[in-house]
Parts: sequence; C-alpha cells; structure tokens
Amino acid sequence: MEALTWAGPTGTFLGPIGLILVIAFAVAVVAMLVLSVVAAPEAVRTGRDLAARPSGAFGLSEAAVRWTGLALLGYVVVWLIAGIVLPYGQAGIIGAVIKRFLPVWIALALTFGLSLAFKRRLGLYGKLFDSTIGMIGFGLVMFWVFTAAFAGLFDWVATHQPLTAVSGLKNEVPGVPMPQAEVVGPGAHYLFGGDNLARDVFSRMVYGSVIVIVIAPFATIFAFMVGITLGLPAGYYGGRLDMFLSFLANLILAFPVILLFYLLVTPEMVQTGLPSYMAMALFIFPLIFAAVFINSRWHTQPKVRTPILIVVLAVLGIVYLSAISQRGTPLNFLPGWLDLFNIPGGILVVFVSVVFVNSPTVFRIVRGLAMDIKTRDYVAAAQTRGEGPWYIMLWEILPNARGPLIVDFCLRVGYTTILLGTLGFFGLGLPPESPDWGSTINLGRRLLSIYPHPAIVPAVALLSLVLGLNLLADGLREESLKD
Amino acid sequence: MTDTAFAPETPAAQQEPLLEIERLSISFFTRLREIPAVMDFSAKVMPGEALGLVGESGCGKSTVALGVMQDLGVNGRIVGGSIKFCGEDLCTASLDELRRIRGREIAMIYQEPMASLNPAMRVSQQLMEVPMIHEGISEKEAYARALEVVTDVRLPDPERILKSYPHQLSGGQQQRIVIAMALMSKPKLLILDEPTTALDVTVEAAVVKLVKDLGKKYGTSMLFISHNLGLVLETCDRICVMYSGEAVERGDIGDVFDKMQHPYTQALFRSIPLPGADKNARPLIAIPGNFPLPHERPPGCNFGPRCDYFVEGRCDAQDIPMYQVDEHERHETRCIRYEEIDWAAPPEAVVKKEKGQIGDVVLRMENLKKYYEVAASSLFGRGGETKVVKANENISFEAHESETLAIVGESGCGKSTFAKVLMGLEVATDGHIILDNREIGDTPIEKRDTRTIADVQMVFQNPFDTLNPSMSVGRQIIRALEIFGYGKNDGERRERMLTLLDLVKLPRAFAERMPRQLSGGQKQRVGIARAFAGDARIVVADEPVSALDVSVQAAVTDLLMDIQREQKTTLLFISHDLSIVRYLSDRIVVMYLGHIVETGTTEQIFAPPYHPYTEALLSAVPIADTRVQKKEIVLEGEIPSAMNPPPGCPFQTRCRWKSQVPGNKCETELPPYRDLGDGHRSLCWLDDAQLASMEPVIKVAAE
Repeated sequence: MEALTWAGPTGTFLGPIGLILVIAFAVAVVAMLVLSVVAAPEAVRTGRDLAARPSGAFGLSEAAVRWTGLALLGYVVVWLIAGIVLPYGQAGIIGAVIKRFLPVWIALALTFGLSLAFKRRLGLYGKLFDSTIGMIGFGLVMFWVFTAAFAGLFDWVATHQPLTAVSGLKNEVPGVPMPQAEVVGPGAHYLFGGDNLARDVFSRMVYGSVIVIVIAPFATIFAFMVGITLGLPAGYYGGRLDMFLSFLANLILAFPVILLFYLLVTPEMVQTGLPSYMAMALFIFPLIFAAVFINSRWHTQPKVRTPILIVVLAVLGIVYLSAISQRGTPLNFLPGWLDLFNIPGGILVVFVSVVFVNSPTVFRIVRGLAMDIKTRDYVAAAQTRGEGPWYIMLWEILPNARGPLIVDFCLRVGYTTILLGTLGFFGLGLPPESPDWGSTINLGRRLLSIYPHPAIVPAVALLSLVLGLNLLADGLREESLKD
Repeated sequence: MTDTAFAPETPAAQQEPLLEIERLSISFFTRLREIPAVMDFSAKVMPGEALGLVGESGCGKSTVALGVMQDLGVNGRIVGGSIKFCGEDLCTASLDELRRIRGREIAMIYQEPMASLNPAMRVSQQLMEVPMIHEGISEKEAYARALEVVTDVRLPDPERILKSYPHQLSGGQQQRIVIAMALMSKPKLLILDEPTTALDVTVEAAVVKLVKDLGKKYGTSMLFISHNLGLVLETCDRICVMYSGEAVERGDIGDVFDKMQHPYTQALFRSIPLPGADKNARPLIAIPGNFPLPHERPPGCNFGPRCDYFVEGRCDAQDIPMYQVDEHERHETRCIRYEEIDWAAPPEAVVKKEKGQIGDVVLRMENLKKYYEVAASSLFGRGGETKVVKANENISFEAHESETLAIVGESGCGKSTFAKVLMGLEVATDGHIILDNREIGDTPIEKRDTRTIADVQMVFQNPFDTLNPSMSVGRQIIRALEIFGYGKNDGERRERMLTLLDLVKLPRAFAERMPRQLSGGQKQRVGIARAFAGDARIVVADEPVSALDVSVQAAVTDLLMDIQREQKTTLLFISHDLSIVRYLSDRIVVMYLGHIVETGTTEQIFAPPYHPYTEALLSAVPIADTRVQKKEIVLEGEIPSAMNPPPGCPFQTRCRWKSQVPGNKCETELPPYRDLGDGHRSLCWLDDAQLASMEPVIKVAAE
C-alpha cells in the first residue's frame, strides 16, 4: 500500500491556491500596519464622520485584509468539506484526519448553531458569541473537550490504541501505511507517523487529551474550593486571621514549584504518605464548603436543612473516603466493598500538587474581592438582619465575585494544563507510558533533530488548548465589561 | 499678570453668542440598537452668561456637555445638528483644532474631584501644565499664575497647597483645585457637570459662591449642569430644563421659576420640598409613572404619559416643536397646550392625611459614647501609641412611637457611627441605648434575639448597592422573613412577601425580577419592604432618598410616611438635606463632630434662636424658590478631624459668633446643654440676649 502524502491528489490544485491566499493576506496585513502608522492623523475620526468608511490607501488596505481574511476562512471550510466528502486518501493525511474528527465537527457545529440562535437568552455565555476572540477560544476549547469525550467514552476519533506498538513503524514519518493492512480505509496508516516505540502519534495525541481534559478542570475546581473557603474569611474578617493565612499563601508561593513537585513524587516521600495526607487535607475542603453552604442557607429551617445536609454529606463523604483511601499507601482503612474507586497513585500526586500550588493564588484573588464587596450596603443589610458570617460570605459576597472568578478559572485551567505538561515532561507522577502530552513531548524530545513529528504533534495540541483557554478568558472578560 | 487681563470682554463682542447649539442630536450605538440620548437640542450661551441645564438622571444633560467637548467615546456619535463655538463648528473641527480649544477655550469640571486629579502629581505640576501646554509660557510664569489662581479660589496657605498631593486635601479643597485648574488658561466657557454633588452642603455653598464670584471676575460664560433646582437658581441667569433627551423649557431664571410654561417643569417644582413652606399648605406631589427608557419613548410628547394635562390625539399625534412664549423674551416651551393651561391654578387638592398620634418613648439614648482606637502600627498593634477617635460624644435623646426624628449633620459628624451602634454592628464604649426598657447598647447583633433585630431595621442610602445583585427581589425579602422566623413554610412566607410588595406599591410580578432590572426608586422601595419584613418598630433611614431623582424622592418619601402612619413606626431619618427634613420630621437632632449641638422640634430648629452651626447649615441649603431670601453665611475652613478635635466647643474653629462670647470660654470649655424652653436644647455659650438677637436665615418675601 502506498504512503499518504499531506494533501493527497486534492492538494495538487488546492495547495497553490492556499499558498497564494496566505501570501495575499500577509501582504495586506503588513500594508495595513505600515499605513496605519504613516496615515495616522487622517485615520482618527470623530463626531458624525465615524459612520463613514475611511478612504485612501489605509481604507483600501483595511478592505484588503477583510476580504483576504474571509477568503482564507472560506479556503479552510473548503478543506473541511473536501476532507469529509472525498473518499479516504483522496485528500491525503489532512483529509483523513479531518474525517477522523467528524463527530467532533458535528458536535461543534451543533453547539455553535444552537448558541448563536439563542445567544440573547443565554446571559454571559450568549454574549461570548458577540466577540470573535471569544468564539475562537471557545471553539478551540470545545474541540478538545469533544475529542476527549468521544475518545474517552466511545473510543472514536483515534485510529489505534495508545499503547499498541507495530513493529517496523518505529519513528516512521506521517502517512506511513500499516504493514499488514489490506483495505484502504481508517486505520490503514499511522496518520502522524510512529514514535520511537512504534506507537501511533495521532492516537496518542487523541488519548492524551482525555487525561488533560479530565485532570486540569478538576484540579482547578479543587484549587478554587480551597482558595474560596480560606480566602472568604480572610477577606471578610481581616485582622490576624488574614495575616496568618496570607503569610501561609506567600510561603507556598515563594517555594519553587518544580522543586516542590520533585519532592512530592520521590518514592521516599510517597512512602511516608505525605501526598496522601495532603490529599486528605485538601480534599476535605469541598465537604466543608458544601456543609457550610447548605447550613448557612437553611439554618432557620432545620426540617429542610437536616435531610439535605445528610444526603449531600453522605455522598461527598463516601467519595472523599474512597479518594483518600488507597491500597499500598499508609492511608488504607476502608474495606474493599466500600472503596468505590482508586485513583492511581501517580495521578493523585499530580492532582495534589496542582491543587497545592494553585490554591494560594486563588486565595489571594478571593480575599481581595471579598474585601471590596464586604463594604457594600447589601452586606450591611445582611448584617443588620442578623445573618451569620458564612451566609454573608457564601451567599452575599461569593455570587457577586463570580465575574472575575470565572475569567480566572479559564486562565487557571490553562496554567494547569501547562503545569500538567511540565510534570509529564519531567516524568513526574504519571507513568512513563502514559499518552499525556507532556510525557509524549518528553519522549519525542530525544530524537527531535531527526524525527521532529512525535514531539511537535502533542506540542501543537497543548498550544492550541491553552491558547483557546486564554482567548476564551479574554473574550469573557471583554464581554462581561460590556452591556 | 494684572487684573485687566481677566476683565470681561468688551460690549461689542456680546452681540455674538459664545456657544450656539442648534438642533443637536446625539446617539449611542450598542450591539442591539441605536439609543438616542439627545434629540433636537438647541441652546445659546452669551458671553458672560451662565446657563443652567436641569433634569433628572438619564435625561441627556451630561451627554450635551460631552458633545460640546467632542468626547463621546467610541460608541457615541453626533447624528444631527451643529455646535458652534465662537462661530466655529466643533463637529467638523480637526483634532488639532479641538486640542487647541479643549482646556484653553472650554474647560470642564466634573462631579468627582478625586477622579479629575492625577494622584501621582503634585497640585502645582497639574496646574502649571495647563498654561505651559496651551500658551507655552515659562515654568516661572506658570507657577506665578498657579499661585494667583489658587489664591483666587480662596484656599488657605496657597504655597503649601501647591506642594501637596491631591490625597492630602479634603474633598472641598480638591474641587477648588479642579476649578483652579479649569481657570488656569482663562477659558471663555466653563462647563460644570454636577460640580458639588459629591460635597457636603456647607462646602457646596462655599464652592457655589466661589464659582459665581469667579464667573463675574473673569467674565467666563458657564454651562452649569445640575439636578438641583436650588443651585441653578443661585448660580445661573438662564435655565434649560431637559426631559428624556429633549429640552422642554428654556428661558430666564425668573420666567421659568415663576411663570413656567411646561407641565414637567411644574411637576418638578411641585415634587421638591421647600423649606420656606409648610408641609400641609404645600404637600409634595410625586410625578406619576417612570422615566421612559431611551428606546421606549412614547410618540409625540415624551412627558405625555405622566402629564396631568395630556390630551389624547393631540399630545401624542406628532413630534412637538419648541414654541416661543409671547409674553417673555427668549422663553420657549415644548408643550402644544401651553396657551390653554392655567399655570397659576393650584394643584388639585390632595387628600390630607391624618398625622399619626405620637406615642410613648420607644428608644432612649443616654450619654452614648463610641470611641475607636486607631493603632499607630497595625503589625505590632499591642505596643506603640494608640490614638482615639471620638466618633460619638454624649449622645442623648428620646424617640417616641410613630415619630420622625431627623438626625442632621455633614459627613464625619458621627451619624453613621451612631446608626451602627444602634443596629448592634458596633458596641457602645459607654452609655446606654434603651429599647422598651431593655439595654441593648452593649449587645452586639449576634447576641440580640430575633425580635430585637427585627424591631430595629435600616434603609440604606445607595439604591444601587442596597440589594444583592445576584438574588431575585422576592428571594431577598423571603430571606429576611426566614431570618426573622416569620411563617411556618415557604408558602406563607411567599404570601407575606407579596403583601410587602403591595405595601411599598410595587407590582407583584417584581418578585421574580433581578435588581438590575429595577430603577433606583424601585430598588429603594424593595429596600424599604425588606426593612419592614419583620414589622420593624424602629427604622433607621440613612439618607434614603438623597441618591434618587427629585421626582422619585417625593414618591419614596411619601411611601415612608404612609407606612409610618399605618404601622406606628419610629423613623430615625439621617440626612443632610434640610429641605426634606423640614418636610417630614417632627423633631430634629443636629450633630457636629460627634456632638449633638442642637435638638428640638422642627419649628424650634428652623426659627431663631439657632445654634451657630445650624444657622450656617440652614443658610447653605439651596432653595428653588425665587421668593425666598437667605442670609449668606459661608463657613470658612474645614471640619476638624475627629482624631484631633479642637478643645472646648467642637464648632469653635468655624463659628462666626465666637467673638461675642466673653473670655475664651469657647476655646477652653465644652459648653453645657442649655435648655431654651420646651425641650429645645443647644450646645452653646451664647447668652440669652445674644441668642435673641439672631435673625431668621430664611425669609419668604411677601407676595
């Protein structure tokens, strides 16, 4: 069987068109930038002239950028359609990859279609669709979320298993055919080539997204729980409590992060049970949070509160105990039938360290917001009707701090993703054969000068996800300021 | 620099208007629609003339000012008309021309003085910058001029002021610096956008007097934007009343105030309390309905739906142009029926409401003291020096059932501290607060029982801050009911919440609304409903209407009075606005620097003999009535810091009667509370003869 080229037969005429479009777009952008500096005085419009389009060379370059940009977008769409419609191989590797992602495209199209149709009724989420930057960011993030969901739940998208090695494909270039394959179709090629253990780079990238998409948001949520539970009282009460907690936060922040990770994952440390104890301490925060949250709201009606509290705490308690009780660690007390699940030791360590280093920053943000909001009249109104401090913190202050917190959450998921990559890259925590992006980049790094593709593919994936998260945060911030 | 340089322009130049706005329309463009902010607005400012621009918030008056400055932001645009300054059209002026005009020919003074000054620059640098940029004069000359202007705005010790940073000055001093900065380049036109709203009344009076005097001295024309009719009366020659983006009436101050020709102007005057008039003879009349949103304006006359003289088919048939009123020169009105309406007719008789019978003493304060200790260093708080801030000193008074007790004073007088102690947010340092024979002064709120908490509730000042923005209106009221232990289940509480909404005259559908969907007045009503959720017997109202528009103020004030009559509530009304205090209170407590300086019934306070501070306070209130004549008493200096109060009488540093007291008793000894008869008490050393020599501050001229 023949190897696939990047663009296949379609590329012979689509390729040059793309090249021309890219060059035209680049020229237009450069021209606009230069002209905007040269022609600055005329470019500023005030009063009623604002409505009129600017004329002259600058206006022309602006129009050129707009039109070439649109053409480029159209070109991408043509490729997408060609990839999906043309039979396997006709559009080369690009077409085949596009075809593999078909469920993701459908899901994305549905999400965007519905969101755009109802954007006026969807609050801040709907407003996001008014900002191009926000839409691009959201699109990138959702691309990886859907990919992870389909790969993790249904084993779609990927062509091979992440750990299957096929002899003879070690370090082969993208588009290499499988030795024994007879039918030309999905799975007949290593689309992005093989790595130095002869595994499929494309499939490992797809499965790697599952690990990132699961751990990063969860770890961030935990960091927020810890940061909020400590930051609210620090900001609300102030004084010595604030001084003590802020000092603690500064202490953690001042500690070199990578060194901290190395310390946490060394076998000796794991043997002493330190990560398990830290997990015990950090994972209790969601319980405290939920209990205080529910109690402060319904404490005047014990009949309503007690059942809710019992149910929530029981569920969370079991989850909590299952999470911290591990075989092979000093914390192993739950009988097997009650232990719902076991988190692999490596992942637990990664989780704990990410939460540990992220929560002080969240703490400081929440503390600052609480200090600001506690001076509002509605907080005074709550105080004068005799509300408890936790009700005021969780029901009066926290909901009104949500704007900046949501933006920070998006950014922080991005940081966490990079942190996970860093951990994987240093081989900390996760098992060496894990397909997560950091570990894959590290594996590919060794032969980077000869075979760049095993490292570049996960690196680009990581880049696009973090870029998407940052753009999403930008879009949210921008849109939440508008009205 | 000689005085001739500042002299008014020659009479020959007075033929041409300085600023001529013709049929100006300004719109803002949002992602949903175009929002017209100003429509068909025309105005003329002659050299040396002061034009007042009056209207409620959202009527477009600030937009006009920004339009003149050509500073409408990215989404604002002039969609029609012209603005001519000295014959030059500002709408077509290039950026360079605008840069030359802004700051040099037209200067603007904004509402918030702290936000107009650069906190990182010394005052002198900020002032000198103006002529150095615009006229290119040397640093030395610029400094000389800065010194001169700062002296002109009557700041003490100008050289020290020039050296200081903005945060080292008080709000009043900052605003004077902003005015000085505007005058640095001798502008032809000064735009003042609510220049005194953020200041205290006595400071406001001083700043307004200053602006008026400077206007005369420099011959500057002024565009004075305000929501306060009294202020405009004191400062301006001509007035333009705006409503919902349009000018509705325009004319000389005297004509518009006394012979108004537009129903909105009339309604506006009827909705503000005048301290010269009695509340029974001249009850407040609120304007019914709400201000229309810019994109929901009615056809025809914008004021139509709220107007008493509305005639269907005429007022809403077509756009109403400005009509020239024949009897007066340069007096125009946007009312199609102005000739038919009998403007002199008294307002339709309002049902006179029975005054609630004042009952027993409910709340008694005895020698209440509240001191704060301010540590010199917070890190090592235990050691080192501590300073004591005496926020409240010897506060004693009684409040009766269904009585309105007004607590009057400027910022820093300790009225908010007193409210905090009463609510239990702070514990009194000394003295007693007795509620129904129970001592509550030393009980913090956590230790008070539910009944006590529900009995003493508070209505807050800022309507935009009083409701939790992320909780629905109904939910917030139900929460108060839950806390006060009302009702057995959610159903009962919900029912009660709906009746509370009825009580404050809000539609029941508002229960599901979020606070951002409500106007300021509506939010304040919800705040009142929440305070009365537990059948409160004492309600502390901390300036409940001062942040509202005048037409809404009247409605909210009336609502409070209605509820009081119904529920026999004791209302502690904290305010600095003596007009409204006179209108609704039975007794008044005047506070200054933590002390009660005078207490008595409303009649006693508003008639001589006064405490010298009360006298100054009364004189400072702007009154929107041409018949009222006021004695002008401007307080010099600043309120002393509570951290370092003057010895003797707290008011001695600013008192104009001090020289009348023999010896230096004012400076050394705290005066006793003198009983002037019938419970009227005053903290002053003046003897009876001197007190008897005081003249009334406010006189209503005979008709």
